[in-house]
Amino acid sequence: MTNCQVADFYPIQKLVAVNNKQIAIAARGVKMVYQSGREIFHALKDINLNIHRGDIQLLMGPSGSGKTTLLSILAGILTPSGGRVNLLGEEITKMSDHQLSRFRLENIGLIFQSFNLFPALTALENVQLALKIKGIKGKKAKEQALSLLSQVGLADKTNLRPRNLSGGQKQRVAIARALTGSPQLIMADEPTAALDSRSGQRAIELLRRLAKEEGSTVLIVTHDPRIIDVSDRIVHLEDGMLLTSSSAIA
Amino acid sequence: MVSIARKNLFEDLPRFLVAQAGIMFAVSLVTIQTGILEGFTGSTTQLIDSTTADLWVADVEMVHLELTKSLLFRQVNIAQKVDGVQKAEPLIMGGGLWLTNIGQLTPLRTFGFDPEGELFRPQTTAGSLRDLKQPYTVMVDESKLNSLNVQIGGSAQIRSLPAKLVAITQNTQSIASSSVVFTSLENANAYIYSAFSSKLDCKLEEEGVNCTTIYEKSDKADSFELAENLETPEPLSSTDAIAYILIKAKPGQDLEVLKQKLEAALPGTRAYTTAQMSKKTKDFWKKRTGVGFILGLGATVGVIVGMVIVGQILYTSVSDHIKEFGTLKAMGAPDGVIYGAIVEQSLWMAILGYIPSMVLCLGLSYWALATEGVIILITPLSAVGIFAITVVMCVGAALFAIQKVTRVDPAIVFKA
Repeated sequence: MTNCQVADFYPIQKLVAVNNKQIAIAARGVKMVYQSGREIFHALKDINLNIHRGDIQLLMGPSGSGKTTLLSILAGILTPSGGRVNLLGEEITKMSDHQLSRFRLENIGLIFQSFNLFPALTALENVQLALKIKGIKGKKAKEQALSLLSQVGLADKTNLRPRNLSGGQKQRVAIARALTGSPQLIMADEPTAALDSRSGQRAIELLRRLAKEEGSTVLIVTHDPRIIDVSDRIVHLEDGMLLTSSSAIA
Repeated sequence: MVSIARKNLFEDLPRFLVAQAGIMFAVSLVTIQTGILEGFTGSTTQLIDSTTADLWVADVEMVHLELTKSLLFRQVNIAQKVDGVQKAEPLIMGGGLWLTNIGQLTPLRTFGFDPEGELFRPQTTAGSLRDLKQPYTVMVDESKLNSLNVQIGGSAQIRSLPAKLVAITQNTQSIASSSVVFTSLENANAYIYSAFSSKLDCKLEEEGVNCTTIYEKSDKADSFELAENLETPEPLSSTDAIAYILIKAKPGQDLEVLKQKLEAALPGTRAYTTAQMSKKTKDFWKKRTGVGFILGLGATVGVIVGMVIVGQILYTSVSDHIKEFGTLKAMGAPDGVIYGAIVEQSLWMAILGYIPSMVLCLGLSYWALATEGVIILITPLSAVGIFAITVVMCVGAALFAIQKVTRVDPAIVFKA
């Protein structure tokens, strides 16, 4: 019985632990339907999924399979057409926009394929800005930002703007930004897609450390087979449907 | 502290400069249009505002400074005797034609006053008011020296009478008026009525004999043949026409009470405080002529065009950074942080657009006054007002741009 099938038998309110492992992310019957004129497109069809705390979970599948849509819904960025999503024991599909923003700010770190750094800001300022919106300002923010950039190996690049950084360095700044406020959930969309082999490996190692040393739950949408080696579980999506869930380690 | 607004603004310098040029254009448009409107109306009352009179006595049908019926010179003495009046002085006003030595003809507005008086003393930049006591001498505004084609010490003609320029004044010329010439009461009387023949009309009335000087256009009205056997202009007689009586009140007088006393002593007249006289003239030009409407329309269009330009610039700027704002939303940043950044950016644009615009407009107004005598009035109050308009324009445009951010789909952040 796959992990996602086990969870189907439990009401979402009680999804605290399955098989003695705490559940960080749970989706029940999640659907996403887009309508354009008379045409209806089912981007996601009845998705049920559990992700354990501290796991690195991969979401794989061909282009257009609905991976990024599912990631957006699980991150509370997109509201599903149907179904429920529970993050860290709280049902986010019942939250108001304001509550959802607050929840994301406090609990989720996002990493994007195209980095989404602010081009006008230096590496340090990009991280400081994230701290600022989390309420950490001034000297404390600067110290924390410098510490995070050191952790990702960019202590000597703090005053450079994104245009002066390589792709790998930009992604590490983005990872440092995602780590501000020590979020319990890290959600990454193709974090290694724009990186060369060496930079990709470095980013993967950072994400692995986050999960194994910091206890964060990491959900990664990827095509990159290099990440499979460090992941705990993989789910495959095709045509908006969850096909399989497997343990990478096993 | 990281200011994403300020950083975004300066990130792309050429784009920033182009945007600021647009804002500068908008602010300059508003400043110049409103400056011309204020300068125009202000110029029509410069003479009124420059006097030290407390009150102006005019015919009851007076419309504005340059459109009034006559009073009689003898009424000055009556006004002088009214309780509470410290000083009463006559002011003559009439039309004329200026003929230069090379045959150029220019319409004139002639003002006659007592050069040794206290209440009407235009500031001289050359010569002195006392020189105007000499027969057939005049003073003109420095902005009109070129158009009248005369220099100090030079001569021309007013109709058939000679006119020697002995003094120059400044800040007296109304944009709406013909070229203004100042001279003594006697000279003004001679110039204004040189085209007319006069006769004395006396009637026996209950209070005694009432005489009025009646002027009729003479056969030589349109002749510029210099008068032969020129006589010194005669002092005004009691029946000669004047335009206004300027009044200085005794210290501590209630001006409203004194106005009533003067109107009672001089039937058919109305007294105005200097401020009221100024407002009546301004209102005429602003409300009763197309000039005020056109300039007001220009100023309004300036504000609207300015708002559109600034709106477009900010909207484009926000569109260019929409993914960044989407990223902030996805990260969970409160709307206040995002909107604050856009409004802060608009405020910076307002400040950095306003300062060079104002410097440019002040230079332009100085140049226009020095070369053309055209006043583009930028007072501290109007400068503050235009800054407020600039801020409103920019923040209004920011609120418009914020609409785009409120509709942004945070999922945009996942698009590569």
